[in-house]
Amino acid sequence: MTQDIFSEIPLRTWRWLGVNEALLPEELQQVPNDLSNKNTQSFPEKLPWEMPEQISVPAGETVEKIFVFRSEQVTNIRAEVARGGTLNLICIQLLPTDKAYAGKVLVTAGEKAKINYTAVEVGAVHTLTNLQIELDGNGSAADVAAVYFGDADRRLDLNYVITHKGTDTDADMQVRGVLQDASDKIFRGTLDFRQGSRGSVGREKEEVILLNEGIRNRSVPLMLAQEDAVNGQHAVSAGHMDRDKLFYLMSRGLDEKEARKLAVGALFATVLERVPDADLREEISREVEERIEHGQR
Amino acid sequence: MEQKKTFVEDIERTLYDIRNEDRSVYKTERGLTEEIIRDISRQKKDPEWMLDFRLKSLEKYYQIPLPDWGPDISGLNMDDIVTYVRPGGKMAGNWQEVPEEIKATFDRLGIPEAERTSLSGVGAQYDSEVVYHRVQKELSDQGVIYTDFETAVHEYEDIVKEYFMKLVPPKDHKFAALHGAVWSGGSFVYVPEGVHVDIPLQSYFRLNAAGAGQFEHTLIICEKNSSLHFIEGCSAPRYNVTNLHAGCVELYVKEGARLRYSTIENWSRNMMNLNTKRALVEKDGLIEWVSGSFGSRVSCLYPSSILHGENARCEFTGVTFASRGQDLDTGATVVMLAPGTSANINTRTISKSGGAATYRSAVKVAPGARGAKCLVNCESLLLDEKSRSDTLPVMDIETDEVEIGHEAKIGRISDEAIFYLTSRGIGEEEAQAMIVRGFVEPVAKALPLEYAVEMNNLINMELVGGMG
Repeated sequence: MTQDIFSEIPLRTWRWLGVNEALLPEELQQVPNDLSNKNTQSFPEKLPWEMPEQISVPAGETVEKIFVFRSEQVTNIRAEVARGGTLNLICIQLLPTDKAYAGKVLVTAGEKAKINYTAVEVGAVHTLTNLQIELDGNGSAADVAAVYFGDADRRLDLNYVITHKGTDTDADMQVRGVLQDASDKIFRGTLDFRQGSRGSVGREKEEVILLNEGIRNRSVPLMLAQEDAVNGQHAVSAGHMDRDKLFYLMSRGLDEKEARKLAVGALFATVLERVPDADLREEISREVEERIEHGQR
Repeated sequence: MEQKKTFVEDIERTLYDIRNEDRSVYKTERGLTEEIIRDISRQKKDPEWMLDFRLKSLEKYYQIPLPDWGPDISGLNMDDIVTYVRPGGKMAGNWQEVPEEIKATFDRLGIPEAERTSLSGVGAQYDSEVVYHRVQKELSDQGVIYTDFETAVHEYEDIVKEYFMKLVPPKDHKFAALHGAVWSGGSFVYVPEGVHVDIPLQSYFRLNAAGAGQFEHTLIICEKNSSLHFIEGCSAPRYNVTNLHAGCVELYVKEGARLRYSTIENWSRNMMNLNTKRALVEKDGLIEWVSGSFGSRVSCLYPSSILHGENARCEFTGVTFASRGQDLDTGATVVMLAPGTSANINTRTISKSGGAATYRSAVKVAPGARGAKCLVNCESLLLDEKSRSDTLPVMDIETDEVEIGHEAKIGRISDEAIFYLTSRGIGEEEAQAMIVRGFVEPVAKALPLEYAVEMNNLINMELVGGMG
């Protein structure tokens, strides 16, 4: 059985890097109810859970939606934000560590609409997410902040795409992650400035802390521009924990794992602050700390 | 308010689009068959092992599919490309023996001038065969070997056999396989242990016959603690039929050696430039790439550095200028295999008049390459709304003790910069010119003076302030 492509980068590159696309894990490839529909290529329509969670933000209004996924293995959210509206969308994925997860989010923003998207990816043995934000309206904006934590032999595949179509759009994509043990992560972040997106600005940044030998981190920051009057920037920094910081913390009596917990907590803090529920924040922090505590190395 | 734009004129190509009458004495049949390969091999008086190599490569060429990424190369029909064209002249030992017509073309490109002044040797490739080649006496006295590749296959067979297409094996990709089958011409440089070649060696390639491919092979071996600067320039006249360039460059930088490999490519606008360049760097060795891509209809060029020994280093500096009808896909790859390896990649791309420029890179850090450091910086300038510029870097890291950083920017010339300079009393046109010159400076300053001047001549940017 050939595996379905769940997400792919808009511009392909060398195959040996293995980053061109993400395949849907077999356990999530359910047989469609209607076999006559088999030719349908797109992933959500093909499966029984083809009805996405629909969110509609009326003009000028603000809507906040918080999803905590604890058992759902496949999720699909589609949101439309009308003129001047704001959507605060928060997705927290805390699946058991023996389950695979695939989540898709598609948001379209109208004129002067704003989408604030916050994601926490700490659960599941194999995580796939595909976030597509379309800044259709002039002056629309996206603010994306995500954290991920990979440990044991977890695999994470995150594909985020922000498409600038309207004029004077603004995108900010901040992704922070930590990898330990034998975890394997791919993050593809794309800022796509389409023709006509004059005056648009996009910033993308990924920061990854690598805690031990044996991890695999793949970062693919893409920037596509068909418009000259735009300003795009992206940056990636990947490496071990700041030795000075670690040394300082350990000189204050903390052992290495405690010091790591503090440093990771600090890295995640600005993203977790966007989660309004204090208990939820606490639960996520505790989960991450436990994972660090039980790290194999 | 309508924003003002800097207008950058197309590269002045008149000089480079001079076409000489095709007087080749021998051409293979069009298309690629085993018979053609045997024919090429016979003409070149290849040793048996080289014929076998060519035939095995041909098999690979048939087996390997075209890449499913990168620019559109569907305009390329191998059946239309004559793989081997030998010009009218025989190998020439000195400048006087080179045919007048060929000489005139080189004169226009300024090669003998450069050679007469400070450059130590010229291996100029006219069509597929080296027609003029010279190495100054002091180099020979130092034990440096600098010769055309056909001569090397016969006179230095053992060395060639040991290194030829070991770094870029024919199975690597379709055009590497093609190269292995039909390679012709190129340069061979061997720098013995501890020898420092003080003046740059240069080789200038030109393509002349319509529909002819160029498949030159460059093999450079820098033994322990030696150093060399090699300059390769490419230019071809304009033709109607699509031309293919599938050269191959293999560089071996041994322990403590340094090699700088500079290229200015300015193929005509019908050229498909699908070139493969790779360097293997041993302990404490350094490879420096300086790469300017200005010509071609399509370019796929990603010099690759394999940092094999501890503390091996790579410095890559590149400029790409894509204008009307061009799709230039350039960048670099670095594979870090040993502890303490480091790489610095610095690129600039400019797109205008509907041109498309892509920066593509891969940085791979293997398990065990502890202490590896890599910094990538790429900046792209779009000069109008018809053009496009894409950035596609990949970092693949398999160890924790690393420092990997990547930064990229894309945009137009900022109004603030223009405003600042004009507020300092500089005219707007000059302000815009200054910014564009500053943008390409990292490459210009990495080149020897005469090549920096040539690059400026190649670009011949006419910066005119005003409304775009």
